[in-house]
Amino acid sequence: MSVHLPSHHPQPQQGAERLMLAVAGIGLLPLLLLALVAVLALTEPRFLGTANLLNILRSASVLAVVASGQMLVLIVGGFDLSVGAVVALSSTVGATAMAGAAASGVSPALAITVGCAAGLGAGALVGLVNGLCVAVLKVSPFMVTLGTMSAASGVALLLTNGIPVYGLPDGFVTGFGRAVWLGLPSALVVSLILLGVVAVLQRHTLAGPALRAVGGNVQAARVSGVAVRGWTVSAYVGCSLLAALTGLLLTARIGSGQASLGGLNMTMESIATAVIAGVSLRGGAGRVEMVALGAVFLAVISNAMNLSRVDSKAQLVVLGVILIAAVALDELGKRRRVRV
Amino acid sequence: MSDPISLRGMIPHLALPLALAVMLTGFSAVEPRSLSAGNLLNVLEQSSYLIVFTLAQTVVLLTRGFDLSVGMAASAVSVAAALAAVSAGPAAGLAVALLLAGAVGLLNGTVVALLRVNPFVATLGMLNICLGLASTLSGGRPVTGVPEGLTTLFYSGTVLGIPAPVLIAALCSLGLALLLHRTVFGRSLYLTGGNPRAAEVAGVRVRATLIGAYTLCALLAGLGAVMLTARTGSGEPSLGGSLTLESIAAAVIGGVSLRGGSGGVTGAVLGAVFVTALSNGMNLTRVDGNVQMIVLGVVVVAAVALDRFRDSR
Repeated sequence: MSVHLPSHHPQPQQGAERLMLAVAGIGLLPLLLLALVAVLALTEPRFLGTANLLNILRSASVLAVVASGQMLVLIVGGFDLSVGAVVALSSTVGATAMAGAAASGVSPALAITVGCAAGLGAGALVGLVNGLCVAVLKVSPFMVTLGTMSAASGVALLLTNGIPVYGLPDGFVTGFGRAVWLGLPSALVVSLILLGVVAVLQRHTLAGPALRAVGGNVQAARVSGVAVRGWTVSAYVGCSLLAALTGLLLTARIGSGQASLGGLNMTMESIATAVIAGVSLRGGAGRVEMVALGAVFLAVISNAMNLSRVDSKAQLVVLGVILIAAVALDELGKRRRVRV
Repeated sequence: MSDPISLRGMIPHLALPLALAVMLTGFSAVEPRSLSAGNLLNVLEQSSYLIVFTLAQTVVLLTRGFDLSVGMAASAVSVAAALAAVSAGPAAGLAVALLLAGAVGLLNGTVVALLRVNPFVATLGMLNICLGLASTLSGGRPVTGVPEGLTTLFYSGTVLGIPAPVLIAALCSLGLALLLHRTVFGRSLYLTGGNPRAAEVAGVRVRATLIGAYTLCALLAGLGAVMLTARTGSGEPSLGGSLTLESIAAAVIGGVSLRGGSGGVTGAVLGAVFVTALSNGMNLTRVDGNVQMIVLGVVVVAAVALDRFRDSR
């Protein structure tokens, strides 16, 4: 939509230009994060405490997994508004199945397997519907996922009547959700593994270039033999599966299945994280390492505001401003590069 | 334009009223009261709020944009207007509502048109800002004691027996229809949404049009917020929760394209009436609230899929 007229740039200011290029090379986000951490470490003694750092990483890891799923969909030029609802859906469906199986007297291991399979299955189903509607019926991703968001959170509430589902096996809650592995919370370890898997898929398999091709230029992708529909559906299913896994991780930590997990707020945060991490809303670009960094960035900011007792309502305003500023800077940077 | 007499050309325009009629008949089979004159009037009156918000959303949808902040802007306006009205009278309340809504829209438009930020992100950021504003101003509690003058003017008053909300919604629809079809600004909205590059080449002032569109959208949403504030008699920070998504759903069901440049007032109004009648019918037939969410979701997806199908033929 933007029209870049060839501009006759006056003599570029050497120093400023060189700085801009250096920043463009590393990316603004790591530098900002570094600066933020440095300032916090100097001004706020509690910030560098182990408990506080683990707290930041734990909330960042949840966000990073959901946002990396969102990234897959954004890369193919889509959107997923249903991720937050899928978190709630997998939590309630998984917990209901798990508690039901445990109550019927099967072994805890089997109950956990059944519950996880049910939660992941429900998530995958939503992803499949999203993907098929977008890829085959060519419905706008925004509207499809708006519809499935409404439907998924409806099912989650219907299943539980809004009451938390208890009765999960001990092995799932204390043995997994609240466990500490290698000195780290289990959720953090699992999230790192999941992010690693996405990174490997993106860098070392066909998935990375194929998804980028679909999002970058559908016609070109089709002509060069990329299975556009297949990859689009895979992106949506992958996104929903990552959201469903997050739902199960949260369920294990909390110890009950809840329809109030996730929600529209998590969806919005996942999109914000991806966008701050430089994932293009026009499709075709995005890296999972940056998304993880974006999640850490947002978690650090929110932690800093909590430590300095910024009102939680004012925090919303800050998040909004950061989001707009990130995209505006990105746009301005692109325009500058085009001109140079 | 298709030949107005040919039945084929009429089908797209008849589909929604037909669906509405079928739906109402279906509900009346289960619950006879749903077709009573009293209830139909009730649906019409309830619809008038969603109509105003859907018209607001339609203006930006026409430019191939989006406004995710409509609902939260309504919350912020409701709280701010109620606070002003309680302390300084109805006129002050209205002035604050107009100013705040105008500022929100101007900011949205500027960020989208001048900074070229994707409308989704720009209005998502604004959503957060408005949410923060609404909850800070109100402290999370409703602002009660809205003066009588405001409630009469926007809710309980009648002109020739027509309730005020219905009258306001009708005036807005008529005004927007004239604006879209009789003014340069209106035509510019369609051109900008249809093909921004072509519009720019053809001399449309695309940036000004976009800023105007977001401002008009926010002003209409502000009016809707005042109407809802008058209805409940209080400024509600939680007013706008589902309004954004409902307004987009209603507009799309009414045939306003997400790809910009097509759709109109008639469709938007019918879409809003449809969504309201659906939820009214489900309430009367005692459908569980959670099932209602599922139904709305399915209806939205079906409407967009049908729209694509119509396009591809």
